Amino acid sequence: MWYVLSLKCLFFSSLFWQTDVLVLSCDLITDVALHEVVDLFRAHDATLSILMKKAHEPTEIVPGQKGKKKPVEQRDFIGVDDTGKRLLFMANEADLDEELVIKRSLLQKHPRMHIRTGLADAHLYCLKKYVVDFLAENRSLTSIRSELIPYLVRKQFSSPTSLRQGQDNKEQDQKKDQKSLDIYSYVKGDSLLEFAPDKSCWNGHSIDLNEALHGGKVRCYVHIMKEGLCYRVNTLGLYIEANRQVPKLLPALLCPEEPLVHVSAQVMDRGLVGSDSIIGSSTQVGEKTSIKHSIIGATCTIKDRVKITNCIIMNSVTIEEGSCLQSCLVCHNAVIEKGADLRDCLIGSSQRLEPKSKHVNEVIVGSEQLMEI
Amino acid sequence: MMAARGSGRRGAGSGGSRGPDPQEEPPPPLQAVLVADSFNRRFFPVSKDRPRVLLPLANVAMIDYTLEFLTATGVEETFVFCCWKSAEIKEHLQKSKWCRRTSSNKVRIVTSDLYRSLGDVLRDVDAKSLVRSDFLLVSGDVVSNINVSAALEEHRMRRKLDKNVSVMTMIFKESSPGHRARCQEDDIILAMDSTTNRVLHYQRTQELKHFRFPVSLFQSNIETVEVRHDLLDCHISICSPQVAELFTDNFDYQTRDDFVRGLLVNEEVLGNQIHMHVTAEEYGARVSNLLMYEAVCSDIIRRWVYPMTPEMNFTDDETQSYTHSKHNIYRGAEVSLGHGSVLDENVLIGQGTVIGSNCSITNSVIGQNCKIGDEVILDGAFLWNGVHVADCVAIRQSIVCDEAEVKEKVKLNPHCVLTSQVVVGPNITLLEGTVISLHSPDEEEEDDDEFSDDSGVNKEENKVKLKGYNKAEVGSEGRGYLWKADDENEADEEEQRQSLWGPTLNPEEESETESDLSLGSEQPDSRTASPQLDDIKVFQNEVLGTLQRGEEENISCDNLVLEINSLKYAYNIGLKEVMQVLSQVVMEFPLQQLDTELDPQHYCVMLIPLLKKWSPVFKNYIKRASDHLDALSAIEEFFLEHDGLHTSIAKVLMTFYQLEILAEEMILFWFSQRDASDKGRQLRKNQQLQKFIQWLKEAEEESSEGDQD
Repeated sequence: MWYVLSLKCLFFSSLFWQTDVLVLSCDLITDVALHEVVDLFRAHDATLSILMKKAHEPTEIVPGQKGKKKPVEQRDFIGVDDTGKRLLFMANEADLDEELVIKRSLLQKHPRMHIRTGLADAHLYCLKKYVVDFLAENRSLTSIRSELIPYLVRKQFSSPTSLRQGQDNKEQDQKKDQKSLDIYSYVKGDSLLEFAPDKSCWNGHSIDLNEALHGGKVRCYVHIMKEGLCYRVNTLGLYIEANRQVPKLLPALLCPEEPLVHVSAQVMDRGLVGSDSIIGSSTQVGEKTSIKHSIIGATCTIKDRVKITNCIIMNSVTIEEGSCLQSCLVCHNAVIEKGADLRDCLIGSSQRLEPKSKHVNEVIVGSEQLMEI
Repeated sequence: MMAARGSGRRGAGSGGSRGPDPQEEPPPPLQAVLVADSFNRRFFPVSKDRPRVLLPLANVAMIDYTLEFLTATGVEETFVFCCWKSAEIKEHLQKSKWCRRTSSNKVRIVTSDLYRSLGDVLRDVDAKSLVRSDFLLVSGDVVSNINVSAALEEHRMRRKLDKNVSVMTMIFKESSPGHRARCQEDDIILAMDSTTNRVLHYQRTQELKHFRFPVSLFQSNIETVEVRHDLLDCHISICSPQVAELFTDNFDYQTRDDFVRGLLVNEEVLGNQIHMHVTAEEYGARVSNLLMYEAVCSDIIRRWVYPMTPEMNFTDDETQSYTHSKHNIYRGAEVSLGHGSVLDENVLIGQGTVIGSNCSITNSVIGQNCKIGDEVILDGAFLWNGVHVADCVAIRQSIVCDEAEVKEKVKLNPHCVLTSQVVVGPNITLLEGTVISLHSPDEEEEDDDEFSDDSGVNKEENKVKLKGYNKAEVGSEGRGYLWKADDENEADEEEQRQSLWGPTLNPEEESETESDLSLGSEQPDSRTASPQLDDIKVFQNEVLGTLQRGEEENISCDNLVLEINSLKYAYNIGLKEVMQVLSQVVMEFPLQQLDTELDPQHYCVMLIPLLKKWSPVFKNYIKRASDHLDALSAIEEFFLEHDGLHTSIAKVLMTFYQLEILAEEMILFWFSQRDASDKGRQLRKNQQLQKFIQWLKEAEEESSEGDQD
């Protein structure tokens, strides 16, 4: 749904925007130097530049997951040129028919193409203003990731003649078929640049401008993160994974002076709280309670002799004496009664677990919540 | 110069024999298999008089270049396999320096008339167990100065580490698309694993507009697959003895292409891999057709194959000594140049050649003992030995073979071929691509039919057919038959039926047409451009279809629910939308059967049975309070759209209530909603609806009173 929303947003705000746009997904957590993506965009006068990173191997066990889940997710085939910056080709396994088809004309221009499969899109896009204008009139495009980006990547290598044809068509049946409009009709050429190839002296192929002059009007670039943190939190597994990683980076990145254990939190045995755990404000932690590799939200009540390892506990959760939680995700307002023993479980919000109950690898939520999922 | 060459060779030789580990025994002497036959007829009728490997390339036979390359790269024993005109090849080699005792490369000649393909040769290699370890496989028309020792070392390392999984290393040269040495016929595209240099996919481009790569290439644990279109196949491969064995095992392998394809396709079964080595600086090309002949010849003269340049005289042939002056002009001994003649650039003139006055010669090769008249223009001409060219002749981009004669005022347009002893002219212009030979084309066909039963009959016929030369084609004093370059009817018969020169390469033009074509075939675009139905709309149509089928085939409500659920997931529709769509579809259902929609009575009669029938479906979706309201608003919307049916709203709601689909408090809540539109308020003023609501209220009061009791 996010894509649809974002495209509508883009459309509505296209009236107000005068400059190029940066679009990013709200579930992106990254420490990438944003200027690298933007620099790429500016240096090459690109139509589009995107951020990609190596896909993560799912390491964390997802609570309540039955059996080993195979990576059924469809892979993207990303073709980049020799420099690893220009985005030449993009296809999703789902759209392919056992074969990857590459146009000869593309290979003639870029005879070496590196096709990578282990990359994930971070959903961070720099778009030219005219792309937004294009979107505004092409309402049939509903998703950035699965429609707009592949369209732009493909359009890089269609010949300029399509521009003329597109305009002819435009005049003929503009009213009939608005959708046949080409991105080329929106490209705002610089009148000076048009003269540049003819009028300027020969310049070596190493200069970026050369690419800008001869590399077609639509140019897509990609920045591939080699190291650093980049998560798109769009699955439960990634949510848990991101929660593990963030405490390590939090002190260095976001708020150096703020301690991981909130000042207003009352912790009886500080020694039993691991250094990579976070405890939210006004949370009370009882005696002899150990907390390791865990994140605990605000206004929780954790009684005595509780063991919490590898858990994510949201706000206002009550955990009674002697409970033991391992690799669990506990949602808001849940109550875990005395002596419960939970491992690899997902506890829905406002759930109440019986005393001494024992659960392994289960999803415990109300039936109404399940409907929503 | 000689010193440089000598040291270069020594370096290469020691490089080849340098072992990876000094403690291990040195690798066995490097062997090579040179196939001195192309097993095709791309050079016909030129190769009718002389085998291809003996054709002069800058006045030196092709096979000498190949042998020089092998020797320089450190090969110590070469097996030369001959078939067509083997005696001539043998004679040539025995006279050459390769068969002298001092030669560091022992040349052994194997001849047999039974070889029909590269496969046969390699099967013979296996049968006679000629090779002891890794060997170089080249054909006799390869010109190269590549030092394979680096590639060889990589190859040996791979075989040591990976337990002989890699059987072959192919050598490629980097050259961008459109390079003149990349003829279309031999153009390739390949996919490789960029970390291990493993070849994953190898294919001839064959003028394809789109290249297809099986998705399975990308499945294995390879991080980056590199698709490369910037490679020129040098037709030099480092093979392990397994290659010969594999040819024996697979008797259907004819060419190296068959072998590579077979190995890549069956990789998982056989577990054999092919690797590649790419060189950027060195030169390597195979003279596979006349276009390549022209390109390679020009490259030799332009010194790209250094140290194999004409003035080096690497064949140690006394008649082949040249002096090199600026603009790449090479002159042999006893060359005489008439007054006013200009040698522009890139010209090679063989020993004993006489050139008249006022000639203009550029980018040409002239053999030994040629006689060239006055005012002759040679541009891109390749004259072999003993050619006579009379006055006022213009030859462009053409080949004139041994002892041919070109009379006065003849004009040869590009891509003409005159084979040996042909005479043309005087006063004639040969069209582009004309091929003239002393052998009649019919004779050639007879050769083709060698194996067919009726060849004897053909022969007789041919003898009858042999008649005089066509003066219109070759000139009044001409001798020779015109070969039809491209006969459409026979074009598909065999590859040698292609034009002798092969397809011309015009990169600029090509890429343009390419993109034009690709523009036309851009289906994905048309797909995105076509009006896309809203998902909800599609879903609605599907639900309608499902219900219609349910009605016709009497499908149970449970199954309908199942189908609708699966549609819901397929189109990613929320529960709320499902509710609305379902109500809407059911309400509109009778309208499809009714011709005139404005008959409330009739409408109710038709709708109520449907509602009764499908009440379980509704009940399945209408559970929570919000569901009730969604359903009600969908019903309201329907009635707002169909003004004529206003009167039946009460009846419809009544039915919903009686079927216990909608709860009374929800109906009442809906009725009293404040944010209704004007039209909605209008609807609520409907008398029957008012009555129904009144009735409901009373019923509620009664029931609540009942509860109190």
